[in-house]
Amino acid sequence: MSESNKPNKKSRYINPYLGGVLLGLVLIAANFVSGRGLGASGAAKSVIVATVNTVTPQHAENAQFYSEYNASHPEGPMKAWLVFQMLGVIVGAFLSGAIFNRLKFKVEHSPKITSRRRIIFAVLGGILFGFGSQLGRGCTSGSALSGMGVLSLGGFISMAFIFGTAFALAWFFRKNWI
Amino acid sequence: MKPRIFLALIIVPLGLILAAVPANTTHPYKLSPEDLLEYVNSGMQYFSPDEVAHMLVNKDPSLMLIDVRSEDEYDKFHLPGAINIPLASMLEDQWKDYLNQDLRYNVFYSNGTVNSNQAWMLTRQLGYENNYVLQGGLNYWVETIMNPTAPPATSPDEEIAKYDFRKGASQALGGGAVVESSSQSAPDLPKIAPRPKKKRVEGGC
Amino acid sequence: MGPLIINDIISQNTNFFLAFLIGIGFGFILESSGFSSSRKLAGVFYGYDTVVLKVFFTAAIVAMLGLLFMSLFNWIDLDMVYINPTYLWSTIIGGAIMGAGFITGGFCPGTSFCAASIGKIDALFFIGGMFIGIVIFAEAYPLLEPLYKGSFKGTPTLPQALGFKDGVVVLGIIVVALGMFWVGEWAEKKFPREEY
Repeated sequence: MSESNKPNKKSRYINPYLGGVLLGLVLIAANFVSGRGLGASGAAKSVIVATVNTVTPQHAENAQFYSEYNASHPEGPMKAWLVFQMLGVIVGAFLSGAIFNRLKFKVEHSPKITSRRRIIFAVLGGILFGFGSQLGRGCTSGSALSGMGVLSLGGFISMAFIFGTAFALAWFFRKNWI
Repeated sequence: MKPRIFLALIIVPLGLILAAVPANTTHPYKLSPEDLLEYVNSGMQYFSPDEVAHMLVNKDPSLMLIDVRSEDEYDKFHLPGAINIPLASMLEDQWKDYLNQDLRYNVFYSNGTVNSNQAWMLTRQLGYENNYVLQGGLNYWVETIMNPTAPPATSPDEEIAKYDFRKGASQALGGGAVVESSSQSAPDLPKIAPRPKKKRVEGGC
Repeated sequence: MGPLIINDIISQNTNFFLAFLIGIGFGFILESSGFSSSRKLAGVFYGYDTVVLKVFFTAAIVAMLGLLFMSLFNWIDLDMVYINPTYLWSTIIGGAIMGAGFITGGFCPGTSFCAASIGKIDALFFIGGMFIGIVIFAEAYPLLEPLYKGSFKGTPTLPQALGFKDGVVVLGIIVVALGMFWVGEWAEKKFPREEY
């Protein structure tokens, strides 16, 4: 059963189809237990709001973005389902990395570009994603994946536009990856 | 066997089964008689006039007032933003989209509460959700919101706060004259059990 | 019976604890499938590694099948489950911006946390960039609010929008996904890359 990756590479990754099935089961569990799907960008939002609350509480009251979030989270922005889930994600990924021996500090990049270039693009990508995920009310995990799991139209639209745009722009960034 | 073939062999039949099964007939949309009795006894279908006044003043888009009286009565006076679906013609096709939806709270009202409760029961047993009843009806509304009577100065703070709110609301909603303090204001409505706020789970990411 | 939290079968604190456990599962699966590597993630756009396609669609299909079957057996009330609301334009524009972010940075928020936790430094910078992006959005919020809250279409599901039954739509998605898997396997053979 070597169809998961290149033939002569010691692939230490699990078969993607198996991974998909397991992930689907986790998604079902999340819906069954908590009535919602998975997510990621919401946790980043919680962290930001919590930081702003502590560092400049005045601004948090004045700026609408933070005040709205605080109003809907009376027990504090960090006491949110997503925050706990993300903590678990970090732990889970670390466990997997430890088991499969992938724990290593490195900047992963194509051999054809420098580390510095990779990092610059990573930051740019992050800025775009941070902005886009707030506007689009979700990222690939929360909106696209979980949305598709419950057959939400918004999830499919989100999925289509994220991947569609990425495909459309892929040619321009090919130097970074191939 | 290749994983992808194995996977396909499992999910395609499952998909076929799902496609063939009639849609969700197991979902009980009607309340059983016991549930219905419990519901009306606790008054969970009510929206208090204060709540409705709040939403009107804040121009809350999730409120939809439905006047179930006859057209003539509606034309003479109706609450701001209300539409008219006379009880007698409630089952007509043209109203189905208003009654069976999940974007807004439909609040039925009539002069008293008999007709609006009838409308509620009718639509609830058709399986439509998000329909409620204005507690006390228009009669109570006019007495309390439109013409609030000032509570005697010795009343507890919340009575006075309630009165202030009603005064403001009545002016915002084009109310009548304020009746000066008399020793008895309209009898308070029985406290409604907290509505099981559509426990909308917060989600999204 | 489900969702458990709605029917008060578990408390809010248990809910959070289970969220933590679910997160562990999520993170473990993502990392062990290879989503902690930006080069594998970006591979789907160039054909050399379609792991994203396979995992994503398999997971979505398994979840769809699972939830619909559970609903048939009345083990879960699908009306109580959160369905993403559809705000048409903010989803479209947000999705496009995210797509650009994906091809630039090679991560998405969930995978970036996974990668960061196994030591990928570029993922850390991606997360930093994400925080900056969120702050930019927050500061520009008053301007963006009409776009953000506009064109609210309720919470339609795809079957509702297409006018077909849930099961039929799921079957259609299964067929499309299987087609994509076959194309993916072909692409991987055609555009091989060396070890990464």
